[in-house]
Amino acid sequence: MLEKVVKWARVKSPWVLHFNTGACNACDIEILAALAPRFDLERFGVQLKGTPRHADVILCSGPVTRQIKDRLVRIYEQMPEPKFIVAVGTCACSGGVFDGCYNVEGGIDSTIPVAAYIPGCPARPEAIIDGVVKLLEKIDQPEKFQEPEQPVMIGGANLDGQ
Amino acid sequence: MEIVWTLLYMLVFPGFLFLTTYGMICEWVDRKLYARFQSRLGPPWFQPEADFIKLLSKEEIIPEAANPVMFRLLPLFALASVLTAFLYLPIWNTAAIYSFSGDLIVVFYLLTIPTLTFFLAGWHSTSLFATLGSVRNVTQLFAYEVPLLISLLGPALLSGSWSLSEMNQFFVERPILLLVNIIGFFVALIAVQGKLERVPFDIPEAETEIVAGSFTEFSGKLLGIFRLAIDLELVVAATLISVVFLGGSFGLHPVLGFILFIVKTLLIVAILALFRTVMARIRIEQMMKFCWRYLAPISLFQLLINILVKAWFL
Repeated sequence: MLEKVVKWARVKSPWVLHFNTGACNACDIEILAALAPRFDLERFGVQLKGTPRHADVILCSGPVTRQIKDRLVRIYEQMPEPKFIVAVGTCACSGGVFDGCYNVEGGIDSTIPVAAYIPGCPARPEAIIDGVVKLLEKIDQPEKFQEPEQPVMIGGANLDGQ
Repeated sequence: MEIVWTLLYMLVFPGFLFLTTYGMICEWVDRKLYARFQSRLGPPWFQPEADFIKLLSKEEIIPEAANPVMFRLLPLFALASVLTAFLYLPIWNTAAIYSFSGDLIVVFYLLTIPTLTFFLAGWHSTSLFATLGSVRNVTQLFAYEVPLLISLLGPALLSGSWSLSEMNQFFVERPILLLVNIIGFFVALIAVQGKLERVPFDIPEAETEIVAGSFTEFSGKLLGIFRLAIDLELVVAATLISVVFLGGSFGLHPVLGFILFIVKTLLIVAILALFRTVMARIRIEQMMKFCWRYLAPISLFQLLINILVKAWFL
């Protein structure tokens, strides 16, 4: 019973931290557009927080550069459990066009575990909302998905459970 | 039997249980109105509860450099002082549950304790952002505290009593005198916005500059209790203003008086939400200037009016 209540609260109140790991700023602007009045993420209980200590979800945009790698790990470790990482944009998912570049590690999953991938260049606000809502659905009802341990993927060929 | 009633007052009504429920409702009303003013949909009605339960269930991190005892105790101090303050406020009739001559000052200082705990919380977390935020907390305290106290003293002077219950009784008998305090009412509304650290006076928590101010290092339960204390502070401040400036329950039947209490506090919350929507954050020295150059003299002017009214008409 208590577990159910806690799970309900967790799904209804995801606070996000926005972290640019080396993006060209396009995905960042789309994330901000999703948070602004037009798309109004607060109706799902999403609030933008300034500090990793308050956040449940990190929205990472951009490929992980060598420069940002240590900082990303540090931010990740500063977050209290349970925590979820969402990779926003093609670069964050796989490294995109920067994959293999001398200063780039790769996608976010090269450094920290990712819970949801949202591709797009840049990912549209609708796609970001879709990704976050699917992630919450998966936290809420993992049995509805074929591979509950696998991360959520939006629009990909191996989209599961839909 | 006395003890049972005291515990009932403290824990159920109008103490912990009622106040937390009503505080969360007020937070929701505030956020919903804020969203509607921006033509957004806004959060659902259970949002504050969901936030609170989620924070309770999260991991709680205490930085290595921080003082763990202070870190754990300070949120409880903030919550306890606000809960205590509420017991001295008249709610459903003109008499509060506990009252003595001078409880206006006690309530006022119990409302200051949360600000001091925010300061200590920021200071003890030793992070740069938290320290900056806590210094701003205290700087801001010196700006809004004086106009707020002076504007509360106006009605006290008029009624010749420092007890909230007696003041309320006085104004219920002579409701026309409430109109005299109208300037003080607006000064108090603006100053209370500073006390609650909301826009335009959310300088200590300015997220674009110093992350989250004093609460930067707080997570999990501790942050949840701090947020709850802020919600309760909103209710207590709204009730205080409604009792002092709007006549509280007007001495009606307890049920009607209670409905009047809800209506008045929600009205004040709505006005505060409107302030929050139409204004942007100002800088700390602009706030000092505003509070000392305009707000304090206006509240002194209100005091002068009250002295003259008392000399000629009472």
